[in-house]
Amino acid sequence: MHGEYKMPGGKLVVIDLTVREGRLADVQLSGDFFLEPDSALEAINRALEGQPALAGEAALATAIKQGLPPDVMMYGLSPEAIAVAVHRALQAGHAA
Amino acid sequence: MKRTAWHDHDWLLIHTAPQSPTLHMALDEVLTREVGAGRRPPTLRIWEWASPAVVIGRFQSLRNEVDMDAAQRHGIEVVRRISGGGAMFIEPGNTITYSIYAPLSLIKDLSFQQAYAFMDAWVIEALGELGIKAWYQPLNDITSEGGKIAGAAQAHRGGAVLHHVTMAYDIDAAKMLEVLRIGREKLSDKGTTSAAKRVDPLRSQTGLPREAVIERMVATFRRLHGLGDGALRMDELTQAGTLAQSRFGSREWTADVA
Repeated sequence: MHGEYKMPGGKLVVIDLTVREGRLADVQLSGDFFLEPDSALEAINRALEGQPALAGEAALATAIKQGLPPDVMMYGLSPEAIAVAVHRALQAGHAA
Repeated sequence: MKRTAWHDHDWLLIHTAPQSPTLHMALDEVLTREVGAGRRPPTLRIWEWASPAVVIGRFQSLRNEVDMDAAQRHGIEVVRRISGGGAMFIEPGNTITYSIYAPLSLIKDLSFQQAYAFMDAWVIEALGELGIKAWYQPLNDITSEGGKIAGAAQAHRGGAVLHHVTMAYDIDAAKMLEVLRIGREKLSDKGTTSAAKRVDPLRSQTGLPREAVIERMVATFRRLHGLGDGALRMDELTQAGTLAQSRFGSREWTADVA
């Protein structure tokens, strides 16, 4: 499943994932945003892995924030924008 | 750490013979680290390309961004850089690319948005002297009445900031669209229309050869910030050569975000 979201005033946020037993799996965040340190990308993927596919955007954003290293810097990207892209991916999956 | 000004530093210029795409990626890593460690003065590096390349951003998905079959057909190497941002389509002579390696003190206390504009204020001035009314468009673009001119990206590494920019001089838009998977929305963002054959804001708006534009840009940097002529050290080149092979030329790195 594939979801894209152009964050207002930000960059393109892309999520690829699958759902296994009602939970997010193989989550891959990508896009043309800026993120420091670059290892935070994997931290975000890990934070989303295993989240319930029925989780709301607020819950997903909270899970992402909790998984981030304390010194993280985002430019053109936010936990909320990532959560929107996850939801779009799930909706696209349902439609398919 | 105190905030520093451009003139608190002795800037050096590096502008060498054309180099391979993987070596350019590695040089950004090595030179940022060297400036951060205080082993190299802050540096402006002008890139010359030995061969065509697609350069994708640190966090872009390889398969979402690049048509690998088309890239192979055109003999275009695909590499991933260490900074975020979007994909660039490079053929020797079609763009002007530069990197600035500076201590983090130069952008201390600035927001990201301010830091991007601050690092390129000299370019806006240089473009003005070349007759192009250009301005910074957040988050990371330089644009003009004739459309988008350039995209910038920053990365922080061990006490230094890498700020690099690719400016469109004269790009073959048809070939770019074969290789990059760019949506219509993104293309309009690049200041062109779907009918455009070339994306050439610098060539068409200055009427100057690429080399002359670079010469004028360097002169503006020199006047505003001071700039001595420098060169790559042998040990920097050796480190970069090793990294170019082991990391930036590896499938593992390029497909790190598949």
